[in-house]
Amino acid sequence: MSSNSIWARMWKKRQIYLFISPFFILFGIFQLTPMVWSFYLSFHEWNGLGAPEFIGLGNYRFLLRDKVFHSALRNTVIYWLANSLAIIPLALILASLLNHTWLRAKRLIRTTVFLPYVTATVAVGLIFNMLFDYNSGLINSLLELIGLAPVPWLTSVQTSKLPVIFLNIWRITPWHALILFSGLQAIPHDLYEAATVDGAGALRRFFSITIPSLMPILFFSFITLTVDAFRIFTEPYILTQGGPANSSISIVQYLYINGFSIFKLGLASAVGYALTLILLIVSFGQIIAMRRESGLMEGN
Amino acid sequence: MTFALLLTSILAFSACTASVTPAPAGEEDAADAGTTGAYPPGTMTVYGYGQPQYWQQFFENYLNDHPDVAPGVSVEMVQTENEADARQKVQLSFTAGAYDELPDATASAPVSMKALADGGVLLDVTDYVEQFKDRFVPGALDQLYYKDRIYCLPKDLRPQLLFYNQEIFDQYGIDPAGMETIEGYIETGRQLKEASDGEVYLSYIDPGAFTWRYWGRRGLMPQANARIWDENGEVVIDTDPGAKLAMDTLATLNEEELLYKSAIFQPPLYDAAREGKVATFYIGAFWDEFLRKNLPDMEGKWRVMPAPIFQDLGLGGAPVVGLECLINKPDPVYADLYKTIWEAYQFDADARQTWTEQMVAEDAPYSNPISVEMLQDDFWKEPTPYYGGQSFREAEANGLNNVSQNLIVTDKDAEADTIISAEIESYVAGNQTMDEALANMGEQLRERIGTAPVD
Repeated sequence: MSSNSIWARMWKKRQIYLFISPFFILFGIFQLTPMVWSFYLSFHEWNGLGAPEFIGLGNYRFLLRDKVFHSALRNTVIYWLANSLAIIPLALILASLLNHTWLRAKRLIRTTVFLPYVTATVAVGLIFNMLFDYNSGLINSLLELIGLAPVPWLTSVQTSKLPVIFLNIWRITPWHALILFSGLQAIPHDLYEAATVDGAGALRRFFSITIPSLMPILFFSFITLTVDAFRIFTEPYILTQGGPANSSISIVQYLYINGFSIFKLGLASAVGYALTLILLIVSFGQIIAMRRESGLMEGN
Repeated sequence: MTFALLLTSILAFSACTASVTPAPAGEEDAADAGTTGAYPPGTMTVYGYGQPQYWQQFFENYLNDHPDVAPGVSVEMVQTENEADARQKVQLSFTAGAYDELPDATASAPVSMKALADGGVLLDVTDYVEQFKDRFVPGALDQLYYKDRIYCLPKDLRPQLLFYNQEIFDQYGIDPAGMETIEGYIETGRQLKEASDGEVYLSYIDPGAFTWRYWGRRGLMPQANARIWDENGEVVIDTDPGAKLAMDTLATLNEEELLYKSAIFQPPLYDAAREGKVATFYIGAFWDEFLRKNLPDMEGKWRVMPAPIFQDLGLGGAPVVGLECLINKPDPVYADLYKTIWEAYQFDADARQTWTEQMVAEDAPYSNPISVEMLQDDFWKEPTPYYGGQSFREAEANGLNNVSQNLIVTDKDAEADTIISAEIESYVAGNQTMDEALANMGEQLRERIGTAPVD
């Protein structure tokens, strides 16, 4: 009965459903179907030709013991941590500077600061490749100029992740600075004036007014940073191809290699689902932590 | 996530239509178009990698010289990133049933050729190619057979050669003839290092995947009679004496600091060569086009000789075959046109020489013919100014004498290459010894692949 009434209600509002149907149709075709199909595929071995062969949890079991996947996972977590620890503070400093009243030529400076984000990653990657080259890179030339030994940035297992991290920070920080900048502009100026009258210093104002007011935006930044970090691909692909010896490979690169270089499409699908699961866990943890944090602040 | 979605989207569409594979066109069907000479106006599309725009020039020359053969037909060479990329594009269009998007032919290599042939993507050209068998240089068809059938046309067969900077050898009074053997090659490196106070390196080593490809798979491994798999497909790379010899040789060169560490095909390596820091380029005839293109200012300084051989084994490097495969579309209207132009490339001496001269003028890649008859023409022995008057073409032809067998190629070799390369990269980065690298190769190959079916 109740289902009949649901259909009846839907029929009654059919025009509304008709208007929103394009999204659901496209979602069904281009996202839901592939997701379901790849989930099915993750339990199969398939090279893209012929019929997939069912292997149960074989692909997932393989991921649990595969050293390269572990390396990709470890590297991706390092990229995420480096992003989180460096980009948000840097973006906050940049946004605060952009928000200062004494800053002149604001539009020009904002545009300039934002440029790295709109520059093609591949092009910048190639430039970073030259900068970090062991034999003729500018970075090593500078190091040698001050009497330090050149560093095999791109060719050492120990240092290969650093150029990837630097490139990522350089490229993404402006985007988050812009988001935080818009958040800073939305904070009522009265709060700062009142705090100043009450004798609060700059640091006190920053930690008691700026940070709490920006908390929802910081949370948004943190979540998008996490998602971006876990799907990092272009930077290691251009700079190091994931090497040497998989020392800078990311999870998405591992997925790409399995899917499109060695054509283990079932395994690549399993990697996609493993990545989704990891992102869900990390994001869920972040949401809980943020809620707890904001609860504490409200309590204060 | 974006990649996951992209991958899954493509796969979903591929799979939905995977069951609707076209009936193989067969050689007779494809032959019809050729005998009538009537090709529908349109574009013949070919997927290539490397520098396919120069291969396109031969097709354009042919169509211009024979306007009656295929009026209204043009040729498009689509640049793909590499063998895997070309296979991926063909495979996805094929399994998705998007036959209109399929090329008429694609460049390929033995690993992908086997997978595509198994999937019914390639036309069987056994009878067509075998009729020319006696006209080709020995070994031209060796890498083409798969389950006793041929699925691709051989484009070229390039030997392994050693390129050296004669000026450096003159400067230090060292005879390059010493590099005829691997043992002599190493000794020459030591002499160069000592004479130049460590300024001159014998050759280069790439910190990435190219070291395995060029020093390993195409060079030292076949020369040392090494094996990755035995005849039953079991992993033997960590126990095979040939593999040990090949990898120890590379280790000697690397650990005695005879190799300049730099990424291959990148400006810093060319700069080092220009500055006289790199004395030789090992290994592969392809270095010819890279030297001419990137070091035109060094014309006259370089020379070329056959790849050094292990004294006790006496084998040159394994030749590399270029494959051009016709796609099994429901109506492969241009398959015969492709064959006709391919025949002109292989057997029409005038057409081939005209195109080769164009390539020389443009500092572009070209290779020797695989036709025995064509190779006898003096054109293929002409001196090459870039090599100080030495004939590169003659050297390339001579390089095919005394070749070693290529490593057994299985359909697992693309994955095996990533595993082996990672261990060599780790060695080159100083993270493990070569013995550890070899042991890890064996362990990882068994763990990740197990047995590879040898066909």
